[in-house]
Amino acid sequence: MRFNLKTIGLCLVAGATLAACSEPPEIAAKAAKRPDVAPYMGADNGFMTKGWTPKDEKSWTESVDKRNQNQSEYSRFKSSVKQ
Amino acid sequence: MARMKFICDTERCIECNGCVTACKNDNEVPWGVNRRRVVTVNDGIIGKEKSISVACMHCSDAPCMAVCPVDCFYRTDEGVVLHDKDICIGCGYCSFACPFGAPQFLSSGAFGVRSKMDKCTFCSGGPEANGSVAEFEKYGRNRLAEGKLPLCAEMCSTKALIGGDSEVISSIYAKRVSVREANGRYPSKDIFGWSTAYGPMDSPAPKPTPAAKIPGAKS
Repeated sequence: MRFNLKTIGLCLVAGATLAACSEPPEIAAKAAKRPDVAPYMGADNGFMTKGWTPKDEKSWTESVDKRNQNQSEYSRFKSSVKQ
Repeated sequence: MARMKFICDTERCIECNGCVTACKNDNEVPWGVNRRRVVTVNDGIIGKEKSISVACMHCSDAPCMAVCPVDCFYRTDEGVVLHDKDICIGCGYCSFACPFGAPQFLSSGAFGVRSKMDKCTFCSGGPEANGSVAEFEKYGRNRLAEGKLPLCAEMCSTKALIGGDSEVISSIYAKRVSVREANGRYPSKDIFGWSTAYGPMDSPAPKPTPAAKIPGAKS
């Protein structure tokens, strides 16, 4: 009887100390990282510029490139002279 | 695919702080956090005073990405360095690693508790749906998805700050420099921060140093 109690006690201690081995790996942060949506897919918020088609990468690139060139006063001046 | 970058022309910046104000207003950046700021050197010295508008440079080999312990950063196909605030733990390592002081933290709570990191997103939001309320509340506007460019650059009155596809903006800057040189003024082709953050044009992103060459690093 005494031997049985000792065995049971040892089993309980072993079970308690080895409980951590059954914990799931803590990699939740990496798993939660979501892929971003490309900007050429457009935004459904009513603030989109006109002149390009959402989901069309080429159209978006051309539109943004055109807008980009507007930051150069040399090209802006040229386009205003043509008009 | 475009590779989005900023350039600030120190010969044009008049320290108006319009870019700072526009960014704060458009993205509803909270009090105490400035995603963009204007730095002035040689203040008050005639002929030597220069100002530059600084924010996240969206580095090709971003040190913030390298040191983040929870790997919350990612780079978009357009070369914009973004982060996921749902993963960020606000440890501040990115702030120490960044040579431009781009990562910002709110520290208004009790015991100086830091918030999650906030930084310039090149007006391209975060991992939430483009243009959604959730994206706006966490990261601000997603102007790229609206077919626009960052507001700080687009509204700059002197066009000192230009942003967009690196090849286009560097050609705009090169044109300015050539005109200045032709006029006998400011014969300098160096752009502050460009080679530091981006490396020479047409060069691939540098490879990370092997662990074997870093003293004390575990491979």
